[in-house]
Amino acid sequence: MTQASTTPAQPEKLTRSGFLRRWLGGLSLALVAGLAGATSWKSKRKTQVWQLDPHKCVHCGNCEHACVLKPSAVKAVHAYVLCGYCKLCGGYHHPQAKNLDTAAESQLCPTGAIKRTFIEDPFYEYTIIEEKCIGCGVCVKGCSQFGNGSLFLQVRHDRCVNCNDCAIARVCPVQAFRLVPADEPYLLKGV
Amino acid sequence: MRNPVTLILTAISTPVILAAQTVQRFPRPDFESDYSAPLLTAPAARWFGWEYLDVLLLILALALAGHLALRRRSRRGLLALAVFSLLYFGFWRQGCICAVGASQNVTAAWFQTEYLIPLPVLAFFALPLLFTLFHGRTFCAAVCPLGAIQELTVWRPVKLPLWLNHTLGMLPWVYLCLALLFAATGTGFLICRWDPFVGFFRLGAPLSMLLFGALILAVGLFVARPYCRFLCPYGVLLGLCSRLARRHVTITPAECVQCRLCEDACPFGAIQARPGVYFPATGWRGTTTTWRWPCKWSRPMPGHPPD
Repeated sequence: MTQASTTPAQPEKLTRSGFLRRWLGGLSLALVAGLAGATSWKSKRKTQVWQLDPHKCVHCGNCEHACVLKPSAVKAVHAYVLCGYCKLCGGYHHPQAKNLDTAAESQLCPTGAIKRTFIEDPFYEYTIIEEKCIGCGVCVKGCSQFGNGSLFLQVRHDRCVNCNDCAIARVCPVQAFRLVPADEPYLLKGV
Repeated sequence: MRNPVTLILTAISTPVILAAQTVQRFPRPDFESDYSAPLLTAPAARWFGWEYLDVLLLILALALAGHLALRRRSRRGLLALAVFSLLYFGFWRQGCICAVGASQNVTAAWFQTEYLIPLPVLAFFALPLLFTLFHGRTFCAAVCPLGAIQELTVWRPVKLPLWLNHTLGMLPWVYLCLALLFAATGTGFLICRWDPFVGFFRLGAPLSMLLFGALILAVGLFVARPYCRFLCPYGVLLGLCSRLARRHVTITPAECVQCRLCEDACPFGAIQARPGVYFPATGWRGTTTTWRWPCKWSRPMPGHPPD
């Protein structure tokens, strides 16, 4: 209990500082409320989230390291519609691979996050294993340079913490990152 | 970061790559088997109800902090609330959005035509200021997760000389001006980039962030709450509001016996002597102490000298 409430009430004497505090306090209250009200005019009900435009992406590799999360919130996505199902895949096979097989030394991906499944001769399906992908964009680079560009990077919104100032957007050399509406959080290729 | 050669190569190769991406070099095969390609699946968007829950909890926490500080005068209660804020706003919600950084969003909303500010962010900016106008800086005391982590890691606080305390106290003004300038021009969010503790909240961050946070915590063992006192840009705005607050935490003048031990006990160097206030308990009128925790403003106690 405060001491003030147990002492007998004394007549309030209006001092200069008290007067100023009362009026300036009221004034600043109106000011903060007014500022908030005026700013809310420029606000929106819907939240925006970060996403990278795969058509602008140059797969520089910044996404892997610049993100505040380890591993990055950016992961590779495969647009099957665009894929050529090649036996020699620019996104899967290392340029110096001796055999076009699934051996570790033949693979480009540093974590082995792409699964290669035989469909019919000579076509193979390539699937991203999301848990293993670290968003380095090596496969995206290979696929874009030597293939159809069906592999691309996206910010996964089950992981992204939606930073106020996206750390990857800051270092992206082509400004591929932008804010998109939260109900349509992906910028996909081939849809 | 990127050397000139890489930049030039990127500049040359960008149009080539862009052109290549639009060309389907290898047509989609006509499968003889009954293969059908899996659909492109993307995980569902996050549930954004969290953000409104955050605002609700912020209001409750601010109201509770005011109650604990002014009515109950409970240090233990404030500490418990600080632990809750650290766990919820810090570790669970991973430190974003925070009121400290929200000032940049408000600036960006005013100066950048294309930027739209989400309503919860606006609430995070305005609510602590409004509550401060009524209760003083109770946000800093128990609701801010950045303050809470420093509050809990004070070990052996030393008292800084007054001149140093005041000189370093200028830094937040500089930081605020720079941060608002950066936000207004769209250069970046300086406060978020140098947020000392968000790396700990997320259990991972760029090395520079983690080092800066560790440095602040290490200094904070001996100089209590260094980020709050000597860097926090939002603290400047809160300080301005706190000067005009309706009520403040006060040292009860009716009970005070002028031992002045509290001046040495305050880890933040916030209780300082100030003349001209009457103390009924000792019948003494002259130098007295004012409670300035943790704001940088002193005001006389509500005591009335006898005529």
